[in-house]
Amino acid sequence: MAAAIEFKQVNKWFGKLHVLRDITLAIQPGEVVVVCGPSGSGKSTLIRCVNRLEPIQSGDVVVLGQSLTSPGVNFSQLRSQVGMVFQAFNLYPHMNALENIVLAPMKVKGLSRAEAEKIAVALLERVGIPEKAGQYPAHLSGGQQQRVAIARALAMQPKIMLFDEPTSALDPEMINEVLEVMTDLAREGMTMVVVTHEMGFAKRVSHRIVFMDEGQVVEEGKPETFFAAPRSERTKLFLSKILVH
Amino acid sequence: MMLAGILGLQYEFRWSVLWESPYGYWLLQGFKNTIVLSLLAWAIALLLGIALGLLRTAPWRLPRAIATAYVEFFRNTPLLVQLFFWYFAVPQILPAGPVRDAINSLNLDTPILTLNFEFLAALAGLGVYTSARVGETIRAGIQSIPRQQTEAALSSGLSLIQVYRHVLIPVGFRIVIPPMATEFLSIFKNSSLAVTIGFAEVTFQTQQVNSYTFKGLEAVTAATLIYLAISLTIAAFMNRMEHRYAIPGLIARGAVRE
Amino acid sequence: MRKSLSVFLTVLVMLASAAPALAETVLEKITRTGVLTAGTRTASIPFAFINEKNEWIGFSIDFLEAVRARLEKKLGKPIKLDKKEVTPQTRIPLVANRTIDLECGSTTYTRGRDETVDFTINFFFTGSQLLVKKGSGIKTLADVAGKRVGATQGTTNEKALRAQQPRADVVTFMDHAAGFLALEQGKIVAYVTDGILLAGLAAKARSPKDYEVVGDFFSKDPYSCIVPENDSKWRDFVNHALMELIDSGKYFEMYDKWFGEKGVVAYPMSAQVRNYMLMQSMPE
Repeated sequence: MAAAIEFKQVNKWFGKLHVLRDITLAIQPGEVVVVCGPSGSGKSTLIRCVNRLEPIQSGDVVVLGQSLTSPGVNFSQLRSQVGMVFQAFNLYPHMNALENIVLAPMKVKGLSRAEAEKIAVALLERVGIPEKAGQYPAHLSGGQQQRVAIARALAMQPKIMLFDEPTSALDPEMINEVLEVMTDLAREGMTMVVVTHEMGFAKRVSHRIVFMDEGQVVEEGKPETFFAAPRSERTKLFLSKILVH
Repeated sequence: MMLAGILGLQYEFRWSVLWESPYGYWLLQGFKNTIVLSLLAWAIALLLGIALGLLRTAPWRLPRAIATAYVEFFRNTPLLVQLFFWYFAVPQILPAGPVRDAINSLNLDTPILTLNFEFLAALAGLGVYTSARVGETIRAGIQSIPRQQTEAALSSGLSLIQVYRHVLIPVGFRIVIPPMATEFLSIFKNSSLAVTIGFAEVTFQTQQVNSYTFKGLEAVTAATLIYLAISLTIAAFMNRMEHRYAIPGLIARGAVRE
Repeated sequence: MRKSLSVFLTVLVMLASAAPALAETVLEKITRTGVLTAGTRTASIPFAFINEKNEWIGFSIDFLEAVRARLEKKLGKPIKLDKKEVTPQTRIPLVANRTIDLECGSTTYTRGRDETVDFTINFFFTGSQLLVKKGSGIKTLADVAGKRVGATQGTTNEKALRAQQPRADVVTFMDHAAGFLALEQGKIVAYVTDGILLAGLAAKARSPKDYEVVGDFFSKDPYSCIVPENDSKWRDFVNHALMELIDSGKYFEMYDKWFGEKGVVAYPMSAQVRNYMLMQSMPE
């Protein structure tokens, strides 16, 4: 079976800064991969390359069988199959929760409002806040906003979900409600790439952990071996820092 | 005259000049011309300004550069100079001939006002100048929306045009209602400069009343009250707009700045 | 503003002139000193101005010279002409307090000013006229009905235009330069101000021959010399000097020298003005 996402010797620069160095990585359908590493290691940039929020300078990224560097790629169509959840939620402030969720299904997929709302209501149910449908983002807590954001991404019925530090901006008491939704999603077989420092989630839910530093994949492995017996010094150092607190 | 009054030299107020014939009629004509000029110029400023503001935030380099040059040029040169430019220089760009002559000597009575080149030049000058200011305001409004908002919308599969249509424009335009209200107020006040190219708006008629009656203080007071009334009306209207289109929980400050 | 300023100046003048007014007449003073002290302008072309050779000359100064010559003849001794610079603000007070014996420049005789000082008969006559492009077909005020005519806002010329040709579409300008540019560009068919100023505008144009000043005066701007109040001997003396010039034809030579086709500002004398000048001269 073909990989859901495949990085082939990907290089990327921001000006003179070499942020991704020769990345080669394949993620299989149904796989849940956690990407971790110190800040500035390139992990966010890595997943932003998957839906082409960032262009790359050399190598190739193949998503759902589609090479992103080949000419004439329909990025809009690609992105509708790859959901993304951001650290800062980024809900549309002038729309309530329901309107946030139905926008893309209606405008991109051409669903009627009724069809889109049916999906939206079901998704709000699934993320545990059906009663918040009519609320505007400014009136929701951070955890609730992030759950709406996940529902918004799922409304497009994506084949892949990307999470860019989804719990970093949350107060501690709200982190779990978001992680629970993500865990359920993983159990249902969604292909997920999650940039996070939540090592508990990584241990319990992920199939594989990728450790990045200075734009390179330093080490990858199953959670049990990754935490128990890290091979690289840099991984050890990182884990010692992150697992202390 | 005003100075004389303040300095204690005898000055007798004669408020009746404001409604005596023909002076009251003159002032009303001026008021009407001020309103017509300002509203039409505002329509031009909005249309051009919105296009400019959006182009300046768009990822297409050449249109963005052109829009930026336009905005910087018209925003940073005095309106008075621009009015003279439109009135005296622009028609001369045309080759000498019947078309140019027709533009220069245009004089068409319409039910609303006399359509002449003084009016057209004032309209173009005021509209284009304000469009640069509106463009700048729109740009600032759109760019005050976090970049990730666009990325979130793009990553859901929306095209860039759709992102503008459904996210950036609705949010950005609501953010800029207060500064836009200020621009709208300014266009009425700036319209008084049209007197310099012979357009008979309210300041012009005030000067006419003064030169015929030597009752400058009364005429200036009337003009001041007219401008004040226009400003307060707009401020109230824009305040309602702001409340009506407020983003829940985000913009609930009220009060148009002026 | 102008009105209140003139009230203020009048008060000042009355205070300053109270004492010496009774002392001696102007003719007695000139007889005693041998000097004619005259005020005139320095940039009122071509009435009194300083040219590029730094000479202080002009139509009004020629007239002052004629007054000096007549004084020499009458008093039988050499008289020196001492010219002092005046401005529109200073010319009336300086005559009123007898610092200068008379002022000849480009001063309009108005009844308001006559309250404070005296005026001689008119040595020059102008008034509102039309500046048009040659070949426009416009000859009189009647010809501009329904046409666009320019004027400077707030001037007496604008008021006269609106009053006497209500069918003209009046377009106003901030200054004469803007008005002339509009005429040049065809925005208006005629521009209105004092005829002599129109002639001056045309003289400065790129091609002065393309323009002409037309029409009878539809407002009056008579220029006179200012002399001190209540010294009729002196006023008569200056008036008679002018009458002699008119009678001898020398006045018309002087006019032609400055305002003729080869003059500094081409403003040929109309038949209306010629008649008026001749009528001003009283029999001997």
